[in-house]
Amino acid sequence: MTEEVFTLRINGRTTRWTGDPLAPLADVLRDGLGLTGTKIGCRTGECGACTILLDGRPVMSCLLPVAAVQEMDIRTIEGLASDSRFEALADAMAACGGAQCGYCTPGIMVTLSAALQHPDWFADSGYEAALKNNLCRCTGYQAIREAIAQVQGGATSTAVAAPAGAGPAKEVASR
Amino acid sequence: MSPVVTPHTDLPDKIHGRTRYVADLHLPGELVGAILRSPHAHARIVSIDVSRALAIPGVHAVLTGKDVPHPAFGPTQYKDWNILASDRVRFVGDEVAAVAAETPEAAAAALNAIDVVYDPLPAVFSPEEALKSGAPVVHDEKPDNRPMHIKIERGDVDAAFARAAIVRGGRYTTNRIYQGHLEPIGVIATWAEAEGLTLITPSHIPYRARETYAAAFGLPEEKVRIQVPPIGGSFGAKYVHKAHLIAAALARAARRPVRIVFDRYEDMLTAHPRVPLTIDIRIAADAAGRFLGKDVTVWADAGARVYWSPNVLATACSRPDSLYHFGSVRAEGHLVYTNHSPTTCMRGFGNAEMLFAVESVIDEIAEGLGMDPAEVRLKNIVRKGETTVHGYRLDSCELEACVTRVMELSGWSRRKDLPKYRGLGMALGNHVSGYRGIDPRFEGSTAVARLRADGQVEVETGEIDLGQGMSATYAGIAARVLGVDPARVLVKSGDTGRYPFGIGTLASRSTVIGGNAVRLAAERLREALERFAEEALGPGARWRDGVAEADGKVYDLAELARLYRARHAGDVLEARASYTPDTDFPDPSFYGNPSPAYPFAAHVAEVEVDPETGRARVTGYWAVHDAGVVLNRAAATGQVVGGVAQGIGWALMEDLKTHSGAVQNLSLLDYRMPGMADVPPVVVEFVEVPDPHGPFGAKSVGEVAIDPVPAAVANAIAHALGVRGKALPLTGEVIWRALHDDGRAAPLMR
Repeated sequence: MTEEVFTLRINGRTTRWTGDPLAPLADVLRDGLGLTGTKIGCRTGECGACTILLDGRPVMSCLLPVAAVQEMDIRTIEGLASDSRFEALADAMAACGGAQCGYCTPGIMVTLSAALQHPDWFADSGYEAALKNNLCRCTGYQAIREAIAQVQGGATSTAVAAPAGAGPAKEVASR
Repeated sequence: MSPVVTPHTDLPDKIHGRTRYVADLHLPGELVGAILRSPHAHARIVSIDVSRALAIPGVHAVLTGKDVPHPAFGPTQYKDWNILASDRVRFVGDEVAAVAAETPEAAAAALNAIDVVYDPLPAVFSPEEALKSGAPVVHDEKPDNRPMHIKIERGDVDAAFARAAIVRGGRYTTNRIYQGHLEPIGVIATWAEAEGLTLITPSHIPYRARETYAAAFGLPEEKVRIQVPPIGGSFGAKYVHKAHLIAAALARAARRPVRIVFDRYEDMLTAHPRVPLTIDIRIAADAAGRFLGKDVTVWADAGARVYWSPNVLATACSRPDSLYHFGSVRAEGHLVYTNHSPTTCMRGFGNAEMLFAVESVIDEIAEGLGMDPAEVRLKNIVRKGETTVHGYRLDSCELEACVTRVMELSGWSRRKDLPKYRGLGMALGNHVSGYRGIDPRFEGSTAVARLRADGQVEVETGEIDLGQGMSATYAGIAARVLGVDPARVLVKSGDTGRYPFGIGTLASRSTVIGGNAVRLAAERLREALERFAEEALGPGARWRDGVAEADGKVYDLAELARLYRARHAGDVLEARASYTPDTDFPDPSFYGNPSPAYPFAAHVAEVEVDPETGRARVTGYWAVHDAGVVLNRAAATGQVVGGVAQGIGWALMEDLKTHSGAVQNLSLLDYRMPGMADVPPVVVEFVEVPDPHGPFGAKSVGEVAIDPVPAAVANAIAHALGVRGKALPLTGEVIWRALHDDGRAAPLMR
């Protein structure tokens, strides 16, 4: 195994890491740097649990060799907490029950944080498009939609469902 | 005092990525464990040579069947497990050898360097084939390949069918569903001579898993400790697993901690899916739509080893009989060994599968009689106060209210006017809140409630939170008894070496069984606080809403705790209580009242089928539940919506496809689970009438949430198309073939 030294910019700090250039960024973050908020669900880019932000865009860190991300801005779930819109979403997720087992949740939060910062990226199809690469087996996604609706000021877009049992039933029935 | 409002106390940590699951934990000196698996569905092991593996630098242990004990053990009464195979492998993925090494690379190299010579044997993959004489025998101890055979009959079924106005039925088959937990299976094992074995692993039934593992190593139960970190989803898959045992054997051999964390491929290969059932069913009714008899024969594919499949089969053969009055019922169940990977529990097991068949046939009867399917159901459902055909005592039942409400919510009356390719389907469901038959020795739960020195209340339970919000619900129950804020109650569980013995989280038992124990322990703590207030503050002291009052002064819990510590040599005030439900162990004919409380649900699904692709899309879903009094609305609603989403995946897209015993689609790309776009808005309502046995009137909700879903979706598709799918999943391909009737659809659709 070749070892090289890499300079990584993670959550606003510069870190040096030595190892295999082909090591997946997810492993470097977790095992090398102790940032275990990034979860491993599949290692094949199919579940979204390892989503991080690379120069502000959500990407799956299990597919990304560490050599490819030098000089780029890497942000993990641990680096998002200072943002007030993120915290508002986190509060809404907790209040709505937007996580159950919680394993997929950091990846979902990272994806949504990008959508909060850049709503234009997902303007046409709303948050559905943003979250299409994040699997959740517990919640059925509805409480996540409700949390998003809450931080959008209670307004429901076409992509965001009405809270369960909250709206007049007839409206739902006659959709 | 308001009911629980916090959905889950652990959510802020989970949402911020601060929760440490087993894969996030490490012990000093830890080695990486890896398992060599059989590539054959059935083969004799001729020889195993590990010498090359042992020579690889960094390898600390290489184990084969020769190096581990071979007692008769297993998680059920069918003791057919081993730690590693000794002479034969019985499924693709069967565990042949294991290594512990310093790095994943060394472990992988060691696996590659183990030379196994196999002599392939004939294999069998269909339960019906396996029952034929001359079929390959999977376990020599069971030459007929049938570890379990159930026969249940109540009433005169043949007479009922003879006088029926209508009989409908057919063969229904259910698919091999992967539980789909996002956190792969993992374990860290350590061994010490004095303490024995410690396993850090997310089992939601750790005390029973401990018994199985103790038996495997010939250890007393107390020498096995399971510590349960937060569980990243299970749905049945993580209760008990061979990987735990193999990690333990490696740790014992290497005298170092050993960690095994699966990748998704290995997880899908060995998570052991939902038990696939083949169901032959007939239901007879009179001309008015009243059921007269139900007759089913079920073949359950246990795979090559018994995990939890006997209970799945028994549930399939009996549970829906306590949902409707069938008049007379007969069930024959065959649990059959095959050379498939073992199958096991998944949420709603047995019941949801049988309800797929039952609810489909009910729709056919309604159609045959020209009646509304909802009307036929309302004529036959069970009601409060009844004792069902198998002895279930329904001390609460709001099923009729659920049906009428779901009809209103879904706009059921528009069903007859829907255009072609759109359909509405209804299905009902029932479940238990704990099941007496799980453990022959006892049912119940024990909890401890303790006043900590800082005035917080600590609750300990033997039950396990697996993300469903149990801890928050228990905090709410204790808070309500004590008159304090739920945020001041901390619930602890998940360590067999420390917390009260408990059966664990299965059979939807945590809210009612564990919740009642928490309620009782909190009541005892309150009584103790009342006594202590008088002891410390004088006979005039009064206890009210979480504080004591004496001589016009108010003493909060922190002050009482300080006083208690000072007067009792530093001790803390604590109370312990057990709850034993008034239930019956089912007799050999499966008669008896096995649960203190039965939840019910009525669901309606709306689908739209694209005739070009055959793909069915669920466009609307309505779920009305009788869960008694809802203690934690966000969590209960989340259980229902999550169950509906899983049921939609089950009905429309999920299937572990096997070929000669090997699963063909071992990735989340090839095994598609519902994404956000696959789940429609789900309207959830509860009909809240207190159950007399549940804590504050609550009943369970976790499993009944999925029970009706495959049937509701299948009924909606049948309504949309005019042809009925009898084999799950109803994928676009299956429906397209049915629509184009090219002949190949015949086995799948009517």
